[in-house]
Amino acid sequence: MINTGQSAASQGLLSCHDCHALWKQSEQHTHCQRCGSALHLRKPNAMPLTWALLLTSTFLLVPANMLPIMMITSLGRGEPATILGGVIELINLGMYGIAFVVLAASILIPVGKIIGLLIMLVTLQFGLTTNMQQKMMMFRMVHWIGRWSMLDIFVVAVLVALVQMGNLAQISGQLGATAFAGVVIFTMLAANAFDTRLIWDKHSGTDSE
Amino acid sequence: MDKITDTEHLIACNECDLLLERPVILDSQKAKCPRCGSTLISARHNSIERTLALSIAGMILIFPANLFPLLTLELMGRTQSQTIFSSAMGFYYDGLWPLAVLVFMFTILVPACKLLLLFWVSFSLQFSIRLPARRFALRSYQHLDEWGMLEVYLVGVLVSVIKLVSMATLVPGIGIFCLGALILVTTMSSSMLDTDLFWHKIAEADHD
Ligand SMILES: [Zn+2]
Ligand SMILES: [Zn+2]
Repeated sequence: MINTGQSAASQGLLSCHDCHALWKQSEQHTHCQRCGSALHLRKPNAMPLTWALLLTSTFLLVPANMLPIMMITSLGRGEPATILGGVIELINLGMYGIAFVVLAASILIPVGKIIGLLIMLVTLQFGLTTNMQQKMMMFRMVHWIGRWSMLDIFVVAVLVALVQMGNLAQISGQLGATAFAGVVIFTMLAANAFDTRLIWDKHSGTDSE
Repeated sequence: MDKITDTEHLIACNECDLLLERPVILDSQKAKCPRCGSTLISARHNSIERTLALSIAGMILIFPANLFPLLTLELMGRTQSQTIFSSAMGFYYDGLWPLAVLVFMFTILVPACKLLLLFWVSFSLQFSIRLPARRFALRSYQHLDEWGMLEVYLVGVLVSVIKLVSMATLVPGIGIFCLGALILVTTMSSSMLDTDLFWHKIAEADHD
């Protein structure tokens, strides 16, 4: 007898991660018969994988902010630019709106994303299943907004391609940009590796295998 | 003997695994999980037909968006134009080839693949032609979705304009308008895609 209102796992069912087809656990398919994806009750190694990716991106946050992301050379004088420096420059130009967009995309979102994922990991680790609706909302937000952090990398990409005026003015990309792209990609991968169902397993009191 | 084990009328929430009776919804309606609030299914009017049309439009637009310059910079009589590809290559010339590869992937390769995969699947379903690897194509599309970043790139172009406008003259090229149209089309195509319907159609066709 299958009861709705419980987790599918507790009712002997398993849903495919890719196409969401429901399969009976007793059938023991290794791959989904509908879409061909590998079947798992929960994402394998969700917790260690998310931790590892999250720590990597946290470490990369340091060089991403300390190292210059680009070098602006004009009339023979080179000046390195960092992410924060770029924001300050926009503020000095009086462009507060754009300064805020860049600040949000380059610093607030990546840091917020790391904190958001940490909250989810700690929630899972200690089974703190209060305010789950809010936590899920936050996780979805973190997931959705993550790619917007690539903004600063694309700005540098465009500047590097456009400002190639020899000794008059020249912009070149620097290592900080690579580190920053690393932060963005590893936080995106971390969010993908996490499985929110693991938290709900604790919430409803049904243990996952 | 027990028909209860048939799972067709059931659905499990993708984010909290709550088992529910599959809701019956009308076109352009969404059903949300009552426990965690995630979207269970979202029905779209003429999903297959529209996705097909939009993917074709996208595959056409991707050429001018990539071939024509997005911006031209003029400074003391010298000019420099820029395309999506040249902004990836800039990093390559600066010795940052991993970054060049990433920018190329997020702005050219992934958006192109997404359109092609979507075309492959919707074409196959629209005309009931069993094209090979369509299950793989739809799955790949779902995984690639968030790695296409054209809209972020366009905002990046706009921020660059603001940064440069005080020191040089910037002329928008045809490419930037094509890029805008391409973003509109790809965004619409991914919101028109009813994955639940697509997977059901694929399963139905595979059963016959
Ligand atoms: Zn499947
Ligand atoms: Zn749910």
